[in-house]
Amino acid sequence: MEPTCHPSRRSPGDHRFGAALALGLLVLTVPGLAAPARAQSETEVAVEKLRPQREKHPTLVFLKQNRDFIRYRFDQLRLKALQGRGDAGAIDPRYLAYSRMLAGILAAGDSIEVADDARQRQVLLASITELGGLEAQLDLMDRTLAEQRARLGILQEDFTGHQKTALIVVLSGDPGSAALDSFTLTLEDGARVDVAVTAEQHESLRQGGVLQVFHGFVEPREQVVEVAFGGAGWPAGDAGFVTLAPERDRITLLRLDLSRVRPAEGAASIRARTWLHDTRPDSRDG
Amino acid sequence: MNDLRTLSPRAARRFAGLRWTAPALLATALVAGPGGARERVPFEARAGLDLARAAAQSWSPDAVLIYIENDEPLDAAGAAPRWGYLFHSAERDQGRAYSVREGRILEAENLQMKFEAPPVGGEWMDSGAALAAARREAGDEFCRRHSGQLSTMLLMRGAFQDEDLQSAAWTLIFTAPDTPSLFVMVDADDGRVRRTWRG
Repeated sequence: MEPTCHPSRRSPGDHRFGAALALGLLVLTVPGLAAPARAQSETEVAVEKLRPQREKHPTLVFLKQNRDFIRYRFDQLRLKALQGRGDAGAIDPRYLAYSRMLAGILAAGDSIEVADDARQRQVLLASITELGGLEAQLDLMDRTLAEQRARLGILQEDFTGHQKTALIVVLSGDPGSAALDSFTLTLEDGARVDVAVTAEQHESLRQGGVLQVFHGFVEPREQVVEVAFGGAGWPAGDAGFVTLAPERDRITLLRLDLSRVRPAEGAASIRARTWLHDTRPDSRDG
Repeated sequence: MNDLRTLSPRAARRFAGLRWTAPALLATALVAGPGGARERVPFEARAGLDLARAAAQSWSPDAVLIYIENDEPLDAAGAAPRWGYLFHSAERDQGRAYSVREGRILEAENLQMKFEAPPVGGEWMDSGAALAAARREAGDEFCRRHSGQLSTMLLMRGAFQDEDLQSAAWTLIFTAPDTPSLFVMVDADDGRVRRTWRG
């Protein structure tokens, strides 16, 4: 299936849409979607016809009131030569450790190759007296493998241990006779994702499939996302508004259920549910 | 400094520690009226930074902190119920502000002005220590003489500094009726009061 997710307005470096995944079947690829036990924590959220109004809280008042003066000071600052101290900052000891680990990995690879050559020669000799030596070689390989595992554990801890706040939006449910050609998601800051829904994907939904239409980083705060569908029978310019509060450093899932959708009633006829994706190991596995 | 606008932390704790009964709650609600303001828990500037930074990095991975300002009145300990944090992304060429209250981002907005301040960095003293230094040097006397109060604290690097631009500085603004405000700039690195001026 070809990717069909087309961010229509993309600012330079907008990594959220770099992470935005192609529209695709997800039944097997999003853990938790197919697990009925996890569905217990799902919460129904309203898809509203009008954008909810929120109280505006002024922020950085002094800065805004004095912006001309402060900008003038910064302009002056750019004309001054900075008195740099020239001190080097402390290097994170982990980065030094990485180079040692890399050297260890390369050395271990060399050791394995040498041991493997020796083992092949020993196989040719096929001498019973040399079996002890062969065993020692296998022990060496085991030890090397264990060391590699330890290094991988350190790297995994350093680089994959920090889940950022993210949102996944999926479509599910048989839309029936409702024509569904496109889907548009607009985040509160105006960033927008347009997705074309193909006939095959429409059919997948009909047969119980789940389509992922957005996966990207979002800010951990209450926010309103706008959803809209396109196709014959949908009111022009119609949209629905869903209020979400993505939890910090967790993945929030939003499922838009199309099984009771009625195009004449617009996006507000969509049922929406949200839940947190649990990335921790399932205790039932053990 | 009893003339600051909000409760001291001790008073706030006492307030929070009270065992409210149902009639008292009802009475409070009646007095406060619809949407009555309840006491918010003040915190020092650094306490809200992690959340604001998490949001900023979702917005743009290269975002750096360039400015902090209290969004609600400060107490005598340099704490406020709401702080604003401004980040700048070179990649997006834009600034985005987050206003944090009670562990939640209450407001997020793009700054509608060009503001490329240097990064504040990670090593800076918190607002409480900065206020203590400013009060000792000049703030207390100003407030006593002129019935003044602390109105604003802001942390940035460069704008008010004529020397040692390498470290960030807190600027504290004490205001009083019928007299120019007092500005006190405190080095956020070592707590030294760099300069004071009226304006």
